[in-house]
Amino acid sequence: MNSNIAVMADEDIVTGFMLGGIKEGHPVNDMDEAEKTLKELVKKDFSVIITTEKIGDALRKTINKVTNESALPMIIEIPDKTGSIRRESDPMSELIKRVIGVEMVK
Amino acid sequence: MAQEMIEGINPTRMELLKLKDREKLAVKGHSLLKEKRNALIMEFFNILERVKGSREDVEKTLKETYEDLTAAQIVMGDLAVKKAAMSVNESINIDIDSRSVMGVVVPLVDSEIKERNMVERGYGFLETSVKIDEAASKFEKSIKLIIELGEIEKTIILLAAEIESTKRRVNALEHIIVPRIENTVKYIEMRLEEMERENFVRLKMIKKTMEME
Repeated sequence: MNSNIAVMADEDIVTGFMLGGIKEGHPVNDMDEAEKTLKELVKKDFSVIITTEKIGDALRKTINKVTNESALPMIIEIPDKTGSIRRESDPMSELIKRVIGVEMVK
Repeated sequence: MAQEMIEGINPTRMELLKLKDREKLAVKGHSLLKEKRNALIMEFFNILERVKGSREDVEKTLKETYEDLTAAQIVMGDLAVKKAAMSVNESINIDIDSRSVMGVVVPLVDSEIKERNMVERGYGFLETSVKIDEAASKFEKSIKLIIELGEIEKTIILLAAEIESTKRRVNALEHIIVPRIENTVKYIEMRLEEMERENFVRLKMIKKTMEME
């Protein structure tokens, strides 16, 4: 199976991950560019796409569409340099709560 | 008690037999789906054990990593770090497979990330500082954690969706479809019995009138 990994984030983070050994780094500056790049990456069959939480929030619709369609690619959102966004409710524990019916983690 | 029934059913023996078959099927399907739901929830709990704290780990590691990267950028300058990053060899070899949990295909990532020393990374030593070595090794570590986290989160999302839809089907069968069929069966049986009694009375009456003549 094709297994590639790509990073799409701001310039510094992309540089960092390339330093860590990921060849496909795609620096983006604004959200329009990010959306275009994301679509291209999905088309190119990357199996893991790492992006930042900020981009993730801005492109939530596109990401949901991609992730609902198939198991791959995995789009992983990481916090950027300013730290993670403190959300009112963590989407992950929200989901767990909905499925199990009671709060399990944290 | 207003009981829900299937609309537009003729109270005949044919329909009764058909409905009884349907009831059997529905009950069987219900117990199977229930088993599936239980198995999925068990799997879900297993995954939950792994997700605990995994996101915090990634956040903490990344924070340290970014600090090191910034330090390298301060010492060497943005451009030099970028230049070094361009020449780094690819280190990641991930193999994504999938496994099936009760029909849900979840990704199974087999990542192989080499912890390299600075010679293997591929940038020159002349223009680089020791800070960049630290940053690079931290980034390698973070990538590993991030991929693990991605696998777990993706699995949770897929399993959760399947659990929700299975739950809904189990509930629909248990609370709506099965009772509805049961009520309809009862209704048809009662109608048939009633018709039988009517017939019996009719026969008696005819017999009586015939005897009178």
